[in-house]
Amino acid sequence: MEEEFIKNNYTDAQKQEIFDKEFMPQINAMYNFAYRLTLERDDAKDLLQDTYLKAYRFIDSFQQGTNAKAWLFRILKNSFINDYRKKSKEPAKVDYQEVETYYNSEEVDRQITPDLRVESLGNMIGDEISNALNALDVDFRTVIILCDLEGFKYEEMAKILDIPIGTVRSRLHRARNLLKEKLSEYAKSMGYKTA
Amino acid sequence: MNTPDKKNMKHECPHQQECLQLLQSILDGEATTEQKDRFMGHHLEECMPCYQNYHLEVAIRDLLKKKCSNEAPQDLVDSIKQKVIQNLSK
Ligand SMILES: [Zn+2]
Repeated sequence: MEEEFIKNNYTDAQKQEIFDKEFMPQINAMYNFAYRLTLERDDAKDLLQDTYLKAYRFIDSFQQGTNAKAWLFRILKNSFINDYRKKSKEPAKVDYQEVETYYNSEEVDRQITPDLRVESLGNMIGDEISNALNALDVDFRTVIILCDLEGFKYEEMAKILDIPIGTVRSRLHRARNLLKEKLSEYAKSMGYKTA
Repeated sequence: MNTPDKKNMKHECPHQQECLQLLQSILDGEATTEQKDRFMGHHLEECMPCYQNYHLEVAIRDLLKKKCSNEAPQDLVDSIKQKVIQNLSK
């Protein structure tokens, strides 16, 4: 909350109203974000609860009439990075910068010509897309969730993630290419099964 | 976009990656009206790879929305509300 300088002095009744009318309606989207970040139901519950209590504690720095959803998503993402990412069971992470440099190289664009067809998506009636999304590196997963599931604009995403808009745009493009790659792997394996 | 006449479409796009990036900005609501009109109105009607990409992008977004949302468990929602009420009464 380091960047929030505005301090309101809401009364208890106002706090309760903001919490109920602005924060609670986002709880399903927030839970889904927490789950997609941690990939563990229990961690997602803890993360969601921590985030909502934090949001309540810092409610005086929330400006009524501004975008509550973006404000909440930013707290959740920061809590995830500070408290959960470190203890995550994922094997030692590749340095993100390295990953991004790799995926930003022209080389990859040329390699990625996902031979995915709309018709094969029609067969993905189970968890294929959910698994494909979860298999992406967390930074790529995050931009897809924020944009395609939650409908945030690039500018809002830049604020939530503390990255420049240009990075939002390019990361999103890589993320979608990688997702298509995963989906075309599924499509191929399904093709073998039904052949 | 009108349904294009597939016989007359190009089967290769010299700018496929750039087109894909533009297409994504359009679908994300981040492109200008002019960009949108030019691409959706003209390019998609004559370029098969981009026409296919358009339908693929839309289908993936639909599938994501349909399959990748989870609702918060009710007991968790109740417990969060409860904790905040306790905080208020302090
Ligand atoms: Zn084209």
